[in-house]
Amino acid sequence: MDGIFIQVIVSGLLLGGVYALLSVGLNLIFGVVRVINFAHGDLMMVGMYITFFLYSYLRIDPYLASILFVAPALFLIGLVVQRLLIRPLQSTSALMLIFATFGFSIALQNLALMAFKADYRTILVPLSTATFNLAGISISVPRLVAFSFALILLIALYLLLRFTLLGKALRAVAENRVVTQLMGVRVQRLNLLAFGLGSAITGIAGALILPFSYVFPSIGGTYTLVAFVVVVLGGLGNMAGAFLGGLAIGLVESLSGTYIAPALKEAIYFVIFIIMLLVRPQGLFGLGKGTEEVGLK
Amino acid sequence: MRARTVPFYFLLILGAIPLFFQSSYFLHMFILIFFYISLSVAWNILSLSGKVSLGHAAFFGLGAYTSTILNVKHGIIPWVGVFAGLAVALVGAVVLMIPLLRLRGPMFSLASIAFGEVLIRIAVVWRDMTAGSEGMTIPFKPGWLTMGFQNNIPYYYLFLILAAASVYLARRIYHSALGHHLRAVAADEEAAQALGVNTSRAQIIALLWSAGFTGVLGVFYAQFVYIIDPDFAFSSMLFSVQPALNGIIGGMGTIWGPVLGSVLMTPLGEYLRSYLGHLQQGLSFFIYGMALIAVVMIMPGGIVSVLTPYFRRKVPASKDISERKAVS
Repeated sequence: MDGIFIQVIVSGLLLGGVYALLSVGLNLIFGVVRVINFAHGDLMMVGMYITFFLYSYLRIDPYLASILFVAPALFLIGLVVQRLLIRPLQSTSALMLIFATFGFSIALQNLALMAFKADYRTILVPLSTATFNLAGISISVPRLVAFSFALILLIALYLLLRFTLLGKALRAVAENRVVTQLMGVRVQRLNLLAFGLGSAITGIAGALILPFSYVFPSIGGTYTLVAFVVVVLGGLGNMAGAFLGGLAIGLVESLSGTYIAPALKEAIYFVIFIIMLLVRPQGLFGLGKGTEEVGLK
Repeated sequence: MRARTVPFYFLLILGAIPLFFQSSYFLHMFILIFFYISLSVAWNILSLSGKVSLGHAAFFGLGAYTSTILNVKHGIIPWVGVFAGLAVALVGAVVLMIPLLRLRGPMFSLASIAFGEVLIRIAVVWRDMTAGSEGMTIPFKPGWLTMGFQNNIPYYYLFLILAAASVYLARRIYHSALGHHLRAVAADEEAAQALGVNTSRAQIIALLWSAGFTGVLGVFYAQFVYIIDPDFAFSSMLFSVQPALNGIIGGMGTIWGPVLGSVLMTPLGEYLRSYLGHLQQGLSFFIYGMALIAVVMIMPGGIVSVLTPYFRRKVPASKDISERKAVS
């Protein structure tokens, strides 16, 4: 194995950490609220733009901004979406929920187009181009920081879900909504919280990826698909699966971008997505509960 | 009998319009409306079964590229290209979308977006065939045989015929056994199977009609715009999302819903695009998105569902109330 190959693998895995974060956000929303959020990548786009403007005009460090500004802003957006868009439609069909989140996605994308134009934007933080050498492999610093950040957040989320009363309540709703409600848990509040939390995590993923990537209004569509590819690979509703799936898709993107053709890297993981849906819709690691209603039997 | 002749009078009036109004902008607007009517109606044929495709741009692009490549590289006239485009779109449907039909709800829609995206990438990379992202220009040769026209009037009639044909086809399918099977699938796939409906066969036939018609539209539209490139021919916004939104806003799974949606939304979008232009790029689709949300919130069956009660034929009064209910 040559050095380039190892380097490509490392860089893919580091990117995969951010994809894992994005997908865990999607999984959280799906698991608790039971809605397939077609606007998920667009939430990430919003997080990226917030980071971009905070850095370009106020010189606020993107990593600081991700926690202090992006996460609260996206949390609020998540609350509003859940309260005004999803909740009124929750008793209707899954089809209506797709239409609503899809309409929201289109509106958001084009709002961004009106406000920011179609330009590709990125930020050059001091770290952006920094690399360091580890046993002959050069590692990009922003990718490493993003990965570490994502990992810390994922562990924090895991601890929250596993060891707190709130986490227990969230898992209970994901497992059986009706019974949980009968136990006196306020399910609607948890829905709000889950949507807010899922959006906030997604926004942070956007802030983390921006220093070594770029943002434009319609980038959300790609990230929505990435999130779904990851989630389908890891099993819808399966948090650990989302993490491993994220790493896998990061790897696929990095390897195909280097060894096949950069223009085809997206095509390749979409093909993986379609094949997974057809051959093993329950994902590599099995499904979470309650996934049959969205088309995965 | 009277109700049956209304569409013919309507067609007659539409057919007479170019005799009196020849403004290029005016005709262009009508051409786009006719185009979107046929695209949305074709999309809707698959939606009768409750499957929401967000990847029809794939069939559109396959049709457009097939005839354009034949025309540019081999000088084959577009009228032959129509059949080639149809064939390639059908092959595309068989290879790409039939396997997806067993997915339900959101996952079908997501997977359909994914393969539209895959085709754009392939068209960009396969330079020998498609000239990559530079795109291809169809050489302009005036005449009916080569489908090249100096003004908009022939295009007006061409797309009027396509729109009328699509509505006619949709009506035939809707009222046929296939149409009933598809609506049974939309209502409850398992129950339909239990009643002996071959649900996969019904969906495959609907998909082939839908994809084939969309591919043919790709051929004609390429002849109308004369330049195609991957981002345009497989544009998810223009040829996947817009027909779907027209259909949903007007009323998915109905005959007149997509027609109504296209008639209302196309001029709105074009008006905003031409008057606000680059100043407010994105505004028209922003409005599309909000309109979709509004429709879902206020009238989930689409605009048609609100209008239908006014157009329903009066049911003769019968003494028994339960019988009357059963009829209406």
